[in-house]
Amino acid sequence: MSAVITSIVSIGHQDSFGKENIWETLQPLGTQSEVVAPDYKTYISPASLRRFSPVLRMALTAAQVCQNETVLPFDAISVGTSLGCLKDTERFLQTFITATGDTLSPTAFIQSTHNTIAGAISMALGNHSYNMTHTQNSLSFETALIDGLLCIQEGKKSVLVGAADEAIEFLELLKPQVIQSAFPFTSGATFLSLQPEGNGTKKAVMDCSVHFNNTNTEEAIATFLKNNQVDSDTIELVLFAGEIPRTIGAKQVNYEQYTGLYYSSAAFACHLATDYALSKEKYILIVNHQVNGKLGLTLIR
Amino acid sequence: MSELKENLKAQIIEQLSLEDLTPADIKDDAPLFGDEGLGLDSIDALEFIVLLESNYGIKIADPSKGREIFHSVNSLAAFIESNQ
Repeated sequence: MSAVITSIVSIGHQDSFGKENIWETLQPLGTQSEVVAPDYKTYISPASLRRFSPVLRMALTAAQVCQNETVLPFDAISVGTSLGCLKDTERFLQTFITATGDTLSPTAFIQSTHNTIAGAISMALGNHSYNMTHTQNSLSFETALIDGLLCIQEGKKSVLVGAADEAIEFLELLKPQVIQSAFPFTSGATFLSLQPEGNGTKKAVMDCSVHFNNTNTEEAIATFLKNNQVDSDTIELVLFAGEIPRTIGAKQVNYEQYTGLYYSSAAFACHLATDYALSKEKYILIVNHQVNGKLGLTLIR
Repeated sequence: MSELKENLKAQIIEQLSLEDLTPADIKDDAPLFGDEGLGLDSIDALEFIVLLESNYGIKIADPSKGREIFHSVNSLAAFIESNQ
């Protein structure tokens, strides 16, 4: 189960959009960092743009650029989002609470669902193929990626996989009750095009696995590598979130220092892996242990 | 009537998130829907219904009249005046 990444686009707190290699401009986040947004008007029609919240703007623009670079229409769209369109959800709920018997504004309601992102991409691209949204907490991106890999395995020629999440102030208030993290809540979207293997020297996703009741990270990593017939000595780079994987001696980079905290930030790690100057016959392992008990493993060649 | 129209224009801009427009950009008699005017769509029509209810306490009893009522700022203002 593998596929080549032919295009990858990220919008978030790094100056990553439109960059050939995002490692060149990478900076650890400050405490007050903001999304580095492109000019959305270039990619989204004014009529749609005025309604779209930041997460929709980020996701649609990244997806649109992926489509432009891929040329071949997508046979499937698979999106991961943990918390969905939070700004519109908050807006709708506030109206819901404060409006006493009046008709409620439809826009925030329509756009408050998790599958608004994948649906809006489908409409923007005029794409009526398979369209799926995965909402699996911190493993939302990985489950969307597995879906994309399965689509390629089924014979689809071009699949759009992505992830997007956005921060609202209320999340910081909730933080002590939901997650232990040194990083502030942030926003980000990463979308990538998958195609079948055999497409030149581009990076490939070899495999991805998710563990929803993880109790032994080292054992899960060992089994994952063994299943893919990869020796841990051939791992050149480990991109991780959460606890540091102890048993692998490769260079280790905590990708959350660049993304901040959002539950689908493993997608940005995938972008980091794609742009990394990897030696021949070596691999990159993404270890997403952002939330205790939940483990996502992605192997890049 | 002119004050009502100016208020309506400001409310339309806010309710429909028409961030790039000012009230002066909306002509009284210009069509609000379709390519000739502001280019509003069916979701905006729903927002108009909310705007009329929440700001003026007016409900549209006959939905088939919507196209006529929402044609322009002039027609909206006339409908509000005749129903308040």
